[in-house]
Amino acid sequence: MGGDDFSLVELQNWMQGMLVKYVPVTNSRGGEAVTVEDLVNSSKRLNAIRHLDIYRHSYIARLRACMQNQFSALTYALGADLFEAFADQFLDTYPSESYTLNTLGEKFATFLEETRPDKELNEKETWPDFMIELAGFEYALSVIFDEPAEEHRPIATEETPDGNLRLAPVFHLFKHQYPVCKYYLDFSQQQEPELPFPEESYCVVTRRNYKLGLFTIRAAQYYFLLRMQQGKSVELAKQDLISGFKFKADDVDAIWPQWKKNFITSGFFDAV
Amino acid sequence: MKDKEAYSNAVKCLPNPGLGLGLRSKHFNYIIEHEPAVDWFEVISENFMDSGGRPRHVLRQVAEKYPVVMHGVSLSIGSTDPLNLEYLSKLKMLAAEVKPLWISDHLCWTGVNSLNTHDLLPVVLNEESLKHICSRINQVQDFLERPVVFENPSTYLTFKQSTIAEWDFLRYMTEETGCGLLLDVNNVYVSGFNNDFDPVHYINQLPHDSIVQMHIAGHQHCGDYIIDTHDRKVVNDVWKLFTLAWQLTGSVATLLEWDSNIPEFEEYHAELLKAKQFMSSIGSGEYITEHGEQFEAAVSNPVDFLVNNVLIN
Repeated sequence: MGGDDFSLVELQNWMQGMLVKYVPVTNSRGGEAVTVEDLVNSSKRLNAIRHLDIYRHSYIARLRACMQNQFSALTYALGADLFEAFADQFLDTYPSESYTLNTLGEKFATFLEETRPDKELNEKETWPDFMIELAGFEYALSVIFDEPAEEHRPIATEETPDGNLRLAPVFHLFKHQYPVCKYYLDFSQQQEPELPFPEESYCVVTRRNYKLGLFTIRAAQYYFLLRMQQGKSVELAKQDLISGFKFKADDVDAIWPQWKKNFITSGFFDAV
Repeated sequence: MKDKEAYSNAVKCLPNPGLGLGLRSKHFNYIIEHEPAVDWFEVISENFMDSGGRPRHVLRQVAEKYPVVMHGVSLSIGSTDPLNLEYLSKLKMLAAEVKPLWISDHLCWTGVNSLNTHDLLPVVLNEESLKHICSRINQVQDFLERPVVFENPSTYLTFKQSTIAEWDFLRYMTEETGCGLLLDVNNVYVSGFNNDFDPVHYINQLPHDSIVQMHIAGHQHCGDYIIDTHDRKVVNDVWKLFTLAWQLTGSVATLLEWDSNIPEFEEYHAELLKAKQFMSSIGSGEYITEHGEQFEAAVSNPVDFLVNNVLIN
């Protein structure tokens, strides 16, 4: 059976199926599957299948390259071949539904979690956890890079009273089971990092003048900044730190000027 | 609903801003710092419509200093899916901010059943699809309250169900909707080689008074076929077609596309300015000839530039 009586809808469904899944489609009245030759012309140099193959090969190569661009550190961590295998499977499972390629990798970390190779085993390997965290972190960076924000608020100085300090408009806290931020920074600086061992880590991502700033911080700093992110003042966040970490008030007061200086230098704070 | 005559008249009144370049992130800093003498910039709508960060910030500055045209890759005018109203709303909002000379996209479809292949897929050229596409162009133009300009894409296959030549299909589109045309001279060359038609005949048959812009670009010859890669200089035969089109259109806005292996700004600009040498029939410019030994495999990647590169301090 040929494709002469294919409607426009059927023709587009057939072609998309051939590109995305390579599944032959039957027309609406059933019968034999149509062949490429039934629908596509041959030319002087190429037969119909080779004409269609240009689109088929380009589809996966194009989106794979896009994934590698969006997850460059993960590509390095996994190695190009393994990344490609995961990316191809991901694109098959979650083909793009958006008009923009910026969101192509939105579900990639979730997909890696769903398909981790030790999923059925009682004893889990550790490296998939790192890869899943790294994928989530890299995608988050691409979102933060483009998030809307008031970019030109007054930056705090060391003279700004504590009561007038507020977090920068683009300010995100991350907590990981692995040193993900450090790994990403090392990769970005072409230091060819080794796969890290598990180690709880904390970081801040800010954006000033439309460029991202990545900073590794300590657990107590994360806890303190998290309280400020939840709307608490410097004073209340310090009190929570004292109660939450069993710190002495004198110790917190002693360390605070140094923290304040570092946080302001790193661009964490604006002045009200 | 506006009359198609009103859109058609609006198309014929669009200005010719001269020779333009694509605005690419690699050149953001150079353009802001040096304000080079480029007549106008073409921006990829999808690169900016969702941006609240640096791309949008740079675009605002560029639009204050240069004429801008918005060129899209996701309208999917040929798809049998419903039009994406969220996308159209964002396109309209960006246009309200940037105030482009015109908005363009492609005669293609990008996917169905809510999927997006992120490719400019070929439309079947027959009465059914012409009626379908013209109806959608009318809806889009009424939504955006302005005529839309459509580009002939590079194609790598033709359908057995096609009964209308592409140049006639484009002509009927302009007659039925009043839309404008963006003639991509390189795409005509690429499609002609791939699908056995004469590019000179194609260009001769177009409705030249509806053409408001031209694209020129480099491509990859793969031996049995050509891929529209936008990654190198324009070849001899494409410059010849440009000379023909320049004469037939009476000169229209012209843009050099370069989206992969993007050179430094000065080199990119210099390649564009070669167009001045090919505006007369004498064509005294320096030609690049394709040799068989240069054939390589290539991937069609019309949306290679759509992912932001994150900048880290």
